[in-house]
Order: sequence, then C-alpha cells, then structure tokens
Amino acid sequence: MKQHLTHIPRTRLLIGLIIALGAMFTVRLFYLQVVQHDYYEKQAELEHTTKFTIPATRGLIYALDGADKYAPLVLNEPVYTVYADPTYVKDEPKVADVMRRVAGGNTVANFEDGLKNKDTRYAVLARQVSKAQADLITKENLDGVGVQPQTKRVYPEDQLASQTLGFVNGEGKGQYGIEQALNNDLAGKDGALRAVTDVHGIPISVGANSVQVAPQNGKNVVLTIDRNVQSKAEQILKTGLDRAKATKGSILVMDPNSGHILAIANLPTYNPNDFGKVEDYTVFSSRAVDDPYEPGSVIKALTMATGLDQGIIQPTTTYNNTGTVKIEDAVIRNVLTSPTGAITMTQVLQYSFNTGAVQVLQWLGGGQINTNGKQKLYDYFTQHFMFGQPTKVDLAGEPNGEIIPPDDPQGGNVRYANMSFGQGMSATMLQVLTAFGAAINGGVYYSPQIIDGYLGDDGKAFTPKSSVIKKSGVISQDASAKLRQMLHDAREGSSASAGEKGGYFIGGKTGTAQVYDPKTGNYSSTDTIGSYVGFGGKDKPQYVIMIRVDDAHNGGYSGSAAAAPIFTELSNWMLDYLQIQPKG
Amino acid sequence: MSQTYSFTLPRQEARQALRRNQNTVRFKMPISLGPVSHTVLIALMLAVLGLVYLTQITKTSTFGYQLNDLSTKKDQLASENSDLQVETARLQALERVQQSNVAKALTTPAQTDYANTN
Repeated sequence: MKQHLTHIPRTRLLIGLIIALGAMFTVRLFYLQVVQHDYYEKQAELEHTTKFTIPATRGLIYALDGADKYAPLVLNEPVYTVYADPTYVKDEPKVADVMRRVAGGNTVANFEDGLKNKDTRYAVLARQVSKAQADLITKENLDGVGVQPQTKRVYPEDQLASQTLGFVNGEGKGQYGIEQALNNDLAGKDGALRAVTDVHGIPISVGANSVQVAPQNGKNVVLTIDRNVQSKAEQILKTGLDRAKATKGSILVMDPNSGHILAIANLPTYNPNDFGKVEDYTVFSSRAVDDPYEPGSVIKALTMATGLDQGIIQPTTTYNNTGTVKIEDAVIRNVLTSPTGAITMTQVLQYSFNTGAVQVLQWLGGGQINTNGKQKLYDYFTQHFMFGQPTKVDLAGEPNGEIIPPDDPQGGNVRYANMSFGQGMSATMLQVLTAFGAAINGGVYYSPQIIDGYLGDDGKAFTPKSSVIKKSGVISQDASAKLRQMLHDAREGSSASAGEKGGYFIGGKTGTAQVYDPKTGNYSSTDTIGSYVGFGGKDKPQYVIMIRVDDAHNGGYSGSAAAAPIFTELSNWMLDYLQIQPKG
Repeated sequence: MSQTYSFTLPRQEARQALRRNQNTVRFKMPISLGPVSHTVLIALMLAVLGLVYLTQITKTSTFGYQLNDLSTKKDQLASENSDLQVETARLQALERVQQSNVAKALTTPAQTDYANTN
C-alpha cells in the first residue's frame, strides 16, 4: 500500500508560525496592558514619583510687653544637621578636617568612627550647625557629605519664664510648661507633596498625579505673662531669697479682675536653650503651679471669708483668746501662746492666731467642731474656692491638691481644726492665689488664664481669648469688701507693711507652715515654708501676689521675715509699673 | 375651460442653475503624489508632532525646575528672615537691655508728681 504524505508548503508553515507568534504576543500584551494595567501603572508611578513631607512650622510664643505690645519668648531658628554616606566618602581625612575646622563645637562624639563605618548609609557628623557653617561645608564639595535643614527652638530671653515655657525635646515634642500643654496647637500638621522627580530626586512637574497638601503651621500664642513683670519678679525673688539665705522660692502675680497670670517666677531655674545640660530635673517644674504644699496661715483669709459670707462673724466680732485650744487629744497653739483675752477677727489676721481660725470653724458648727461645721468649711473650700481640683490652666503637670472630706476616716475634728489655718490640706500657689483673688474681687472666681490670645502668621491679626468665670458669688460682695478691709487693716497693723508705699489700698496675710518630715512621720521642728498672699491698688485690688520661700534661714517666722518683704518690694514696683496714682 | 401648466427645467440645467455662483471650470494638478510621497509626508507630520510633544514635555519639566528653584529661594529667604527675627529678639532681650550703658546710666527720680486726670 502506498502512503501519501500530506504536503504542507514551507511558506504556509512560516506564515502559520508568524501568526501563532503574533497571537502569543498579542495575548501577552493584552494581559500586560489591559488585564494588569492598574498594577503596572501603579508600579510606574511609584518609580517616577516621590513623596515629600512639608514640615509645619511650630508656633511661636510671645509675652505681653506692656499694655499693647508683644515680645517673642520662643522663636524658631534654622539649623542644619551634617551627615555622611560613608560608602560614598572618598577622602575621610579631608572630611574630618573640614568638620573640625568649620563645625568644631557642633560635631557629634567620635564622628570619625561613623565616617569609617561602611555598613551604614547615614552617619551624623554634626548637629545644629548654623547656616554660615552649613554653607562653608557645602562649598567644600565633599563626596558623600550632605546637610539637612531643621529648625531649633530658641529662647532669646534665656531663663526668663523658663518653667512656664518648657522646651522641645529631640523628637520635637513639647516638655513641661506651655510647650507640653499646648503641644498639638503649637506643632501644627505637616503637609505633603507627591511629584514626579528627576534622577536627583528634584520634583520637575506638577502633573495630574501630583498631590500637594499645604502644611498647617502651629498657632502663635500670646501669653498673659508680661515680660517686664516677669523679669522684675525674678530679680526681686533672687534678692529676696539671698536676703533670707534661702535657695528655693516662687512668686505668682495675677490680675484678680480677669484671672490673667502676669508672672510666674521660680528659683532655682534653668536656661531652656541648654536644657540638655541640666542635671537636677526638678528645676524643669514650675513649682508655683505643680507643687502642692500645706499653705499655712494664708488660708485664714479664706476661713474668715467663709465666716463673713455665712454671716457668723464681722470684722469686729471678738472671741476670748486663751493662747491654746484643745481639740480631742491635740492641743493647738498660737505662736504667742499667752492668753490675750478679747480679740477681734481683724486681729486674728493681724497676729495670725490659730485659735481664732479654729473659733470660726466652731461657730460654723454652731459653737463646736462638728459634722455640720466641717461640711460647711469643706463645701466652701471645694465648691467656692475650688481646692482639691486642678484649675485647668494651660500648663503641664497641674495636680489636684488634697482636701479630705469630713466623712473620710482621716477627716476628723483635729484635721479640720488644722485646715482652718491651712495645715492638713494641700494646694498649689496657683490654687491659693486664684481663690484669694475671688475672695477679694467681689466674689467672682476667674479660671486662671495664661493665654491672652493667638497671633496670626502675619504677626498682626490678634484673636483674644476671653476670661472664663468659673463661679460667681463665691462669697457676697459685702463679705468680700469686709475681707479686703480686714486684710488691709491687719497688714497695716503688722510688720509686713514696713517699707510700703503710702496712699494705696494694700492688704495681705502671712503664712508660716510647718513641713511634714517623712523621716519622723511628724512636722519638722526646724523647717518651715514662708508664704505671703496679698493685693494692691488704689481703691480696689488691681493685682494679687503670692510669695513662697521654702528654706529661709534669716531668723524669725519665714512668712513675715522672708516672704512679706518680697511682697512689699514687688507690690511697690507694681504700683509704679501700672501707673496707679495714690489717693489724696 | 381652464388649463394648468407645469414648468420643469431639464435636470442638467437645474444643476447648473444651483451652481451658478461656483466655478464651473475644473483645474487638475499636473503633478500627483504617489504612495512614497504620502508616506514621507506622514512621517514628517509625525516627526513634527513628536517634536511639539517633546517641546511641551521639556517645557513642563523646565517649569518644574523653575518652581523648585523659586521654592528653594523662598525657603532661603524665610530662613534668613527667621535668623534676623532671632537676632532682633536677642538684641532686645530684657537682660541685654538692662546691661546696656544707656540703662546703667538711668537714675531713679527723686520725686514723682502725678497729673490730675480727673
């Protein structure tokens, strides 16, 4: 049988192969360009475009400079970080030489080791170099060396109000003070730019795929702090502590008619430009705001305010001062332990008789210390004067303080007798001064305010922040007027008024608090904290000031010997600064 | 008896009447383009279009560089502005002012008189 092979011409075979190949390419191209279109488009976009972060500028902080001017307390300064990619560095000795010569004080420790480390692509050689230094380094055209722009927080007034301001750490986060409390407002929000770039990473066009989100710069904050008052308070505190042979102290100045804080001074202090050099971290805290203590006899002014508002005492109401009073198993003594007989409430403030404050507590209970009297004092302290809760001022680290309620096992009669003259409770200077301001301004509790408003990017448009009245009728206006007069008369009759300018309406109260000694579990027999709280003005209080001196060693009672003279000196200066004309 | 007349132009005359205002003479180019010329022309047109496209793309890139340059200059000026602000603030710092010769030469007035503003 003869077999017939089917003959396929070579041309047709070739055509068939070409068609088959063409079909394969078509299918493959269809798969790549149509089916996988999105995937490859994304890949190409990723390769051609780069995402840049546009950093937001941190908001500036200003202080008042007189009535209607602002002075910068915190600014941003452009600085540069010098880095190297060691794999590209060709001349290590030259790089090291340039770094030592140009950025000597800013080089990081052992930067030469970083240059030699070929395992890394990024080695920091110097930090926070100035623009002039960065320009010099760039001009050297060193292979593998670059500069990165950054900003550094600058405090041009150095240590002025440092604890109120705080600082910004290496991660760009605010620490302590305003920088921490308002970190989110100050930091703003970074923007972003996604754009096609050239081989050097420079954005070359803004196409349809380019996205630019503008950064939201941080808010520029104007504080209620007046830099002149702040500076004077710091100077006077320094001389006052030197005079009292003390090392620790604070001053707080407020406007009682708005709650605006005009100055917060604390010693010892630090320079926020060099916060990294500080060894004792406690200096970062603003003790006037975040350190509760037993304020002592300055609280008698508020006990009197309670009695006046309740109508159980008048400035001339008398009691029989026996020098001591026995509460359960405890004996409460005055500084002057001898009996004096009939003493008015104004004299209680003048001579700071503990027994007089305890007497008011007894009258609140109808003649004895009981639950009713204790509850009234507790209500006034916590619901009227707002002790035991933060004032919510815009500063970091504010504590509650402590007022023990009468139904607490610790809230016994002895505790409340002590509380009537400021022992057995704790409060910050800010809490005490705000409450004092409310008691003498007619009975309006203004929440203490550190932010005066916000300044626009142009440095001109100002948005003020309103004062907040937390409670009206803290005490009646009549009770408030009587208390002012009592504090004025008590001051005039005591040594605290020595050196005071005449023709003004000044009042105040001393306090020398015993300090709890954790070693003995009792009050120290040697250490005290001296305080003074007072007001000044022509006819009505225009400022309130509180002084605290922790470790006075100049003899006498630290409230009158150490704190009161500081108040007088600052009060005299305030009268001139505020241009208050004397009476008559 | 009435009569109805219909008037119709012959087709050729009617066409000419419609084209009365048009040239009736047809010119024919003596040279005709062949397929090669067409291809060359199309290639040239494509090349011109390509050049136009490239010019536009380059222009966009050039604008991108200009934009980048301007942005860099803006940053530099902002940086210099910040430097100057810091320098001004340092020079006007209270402690520096207090240490100045002018401030040191100031004296406390012996007496203060108040103008009666009432």
